[in-house]
Amino acid sequence: MTLTRKNGLLYLAILAGLIVLPSFISTKYYIHLSVLALIWVIVAQGQNLIQGFTGYVSIAQAGFMGIGAYGTALLGLNFGLPVWLTILSAPLITALFALVAGYPSLRVKGHYFAIVTLAFNMVIFIVLLNLTDLTNGEAGLMGIPKPGAGKDGAINFADRTTYYYFVLIAATGVTALTALIVNSRLGRVLVAIRQNETLVGAAGLAAWKYKLFAFVVSAMFAGFAGALYAHYQSFINPEIFTIAQSMDAVLAVILGGSGTITGPIIGAFAIVFLPEYLRFADSFRLVIYGLILILATIFMPRGIVGLASDALGLLKKRRAR
Amino acid sequence: MDLALDVRDLGKTFGGVKALDGLSFGIARGEVMGLIGPNGSGKSTTVNTLAGVFPATSGEIRLRGKPVHHLPEYARVQAGLTRTFQTASVFPEFTVREQVLLGAEPARTRRGVWSMLRSGARMEPELRGRLDEILQLTGLADLADTRIEEVSAADQRFLMIATALAADPAVILLDEPAAGMVSHERDRLSHLILALGARGHAVLVIEHHMSLIMKVCDRITVLNFGEKIAEGTPREIRSDQRVVDAYLGEAA
Ligand SMILES: Nc1ncnc2c1ncn2[C@@H]1O[C@H](COP(=O)(O)OP(=O)(O)OP(=O)(O)O)[C@@H](O)[C@H]1O
Ligand SMILES: [Mg+2]
Repeated sequence: MTLTRKNGLLYLAILAGLIVLPSFISTKYYIHLSVLALIWVIVAQGQNLIQGFTGYVSIAQAGFMGIGAYGTALLGLNFGLPVWLTILSAPLITALFALVAGYPSLRVKGHYFAIVTLAFNMVIFIVLLNLTDLTNGEAGLMGIPKPGAGKDGAINFADRTTYYYFVLIAATGVTALTALIVNSRLGRVLVAIRQNETLVGAAGLAAWKYKLFAFVVSAMFAGFAGALYAHYQSFINPEIFTIAQSMDAVLAVILGGSGTITGPIIGAFAIVFLPEYLRFADSFRLVIYGLILILATIFMPRGIVGLASDALGLLKKRRAR
Repeated sequence: MDLALDVRDLGKTFGGVKALDGLSFGIARGEVMGLIGPNGSGKSTTVNTLAGVFPATSGEIRLRGKPVHHLPEYARVQAGLTRTFQTASVFPEFTVREQVLLGAEPARTRRGVWSMLRSGARMEPELRGRLDEILQLTGLADLADTRIEEVSAADQRFLMIATALAADPAVILLDEPAAGMVSHERDRLSHLILALGARGHAVLVIEHHMSLIMKVCDRITVLNFGEKIAEGTPREIRSDQRVVDAYLGEAA
């Protein structure tokens, strides 16, 4: 019980830090990056649900972001539906696609899943690129409206800091939902699947249903994040939704700490802010990512969160002496 | 007679290899049936086919009179048939109690989908009581809150049985439960198996330890090359010439 209370305090501290963050940032660009990082928190929480808790690595989250982003944009641009409605329908549209991709690949155990999701991401990219009548191809979609009915809305979402708080509310909600899921009976089954799927079957549970649930929820988070991104940038094109970005989600979970609630939050900020400092190495991006992945797996298998809690434990032991 | 498990003419082929051929037997409520035979004779295949890990090639399986051979694995558990594995199979990061609780999950899911979002640590008081009784019975009460990876290999085997019991099965299949156990652990196991029978479960136990089998079984079925070559009381089996030739000669 003390453990959960301690965790609760940690979550509150992180939330408080994120609430005051904008007042400490004077550069607009860093506010911009923080908005992106919060959007990636939503993606990473979903990725963690399927990868960290259930043990199945999906390499399709950017594809799902694309579905959510194009979904909300097209519904708004083509049918004039209100922004709030299109944002909320984005995860539902994404869920349908995730069901189609997940059903066949999760009926079986093992590694097909990663490959199927990777292929699925490629297909999404190719479709977005070539279905030019609908998606405008490489040129992308422009003029995606902000929520709040333009400038006359009560709250001005065109303002970066305002959008920051909007996305912070969304990321907090998604994180709370994830915590609810993983601490529930259902979450225990997901963690059991990660440890020993054969035994889950022998215990009388249809593992594939639980895996599919985790995957669809993870895709819905990504779709939601994609929609938030589209309305934030007002512009999207297929290039933003490739396998490389899906790998960012994988990396965020591993770096931050897989199978924890705080891990994806830290990981998301890491994958958004680190490349800014590694900009000189842009052409080696994949090489560096590979290197980070390998090093992280060897030296901090439980991510930054695991490293921090080990360090804390060591400090406590010393003080106890 | 009222059979808890009724197996008729069960067959299983793996790409042309007949692992099981026309196997029939029945186990009554409260009865302990032994299943013995040389390595590769089809004992584990029997368990896996009964449990629904893979479909039978032919034959019928009835649980308390109801056919289950068309059902997937998880549905057979819900219908009242559970099993353990020949090699220890556990959730290493869970505590002993958490794993046993998961074994009870199928009985709970029928309370509705939304209840799956309730806290994973909370249990109904009567369920907690039932799990405590199972932990007591299997000798794991003191280890209830220990992480499984820190539990001895023998206790992990008892834990598999506890997990299989949590679903409150009519039939429980034990695949070489004594593997790797030393003598006093085997004694503890014999007591448990006898207690399972006394609790009214129908038990199928596969073993190579003949003294254990002879002690706990009401009847024994003998397999050789996927076919049943004998069935009878321990005394009858010990003196059956075909069984001695095929199996006991080498094991004894
Ligand atoms: N999944 C499988 N695929 C192909 N062949 C299999 C499979 N499982 C078992 N077999 C074959 O079926 C036969 C029976 O194997 P099984 O494991 O049932 O024997 P067993 O009686 O349990 O032996 P042991 O005492 O060594 O555990 C063997 O020839 C084995 O190679
Ligand atoms: Mg075997």
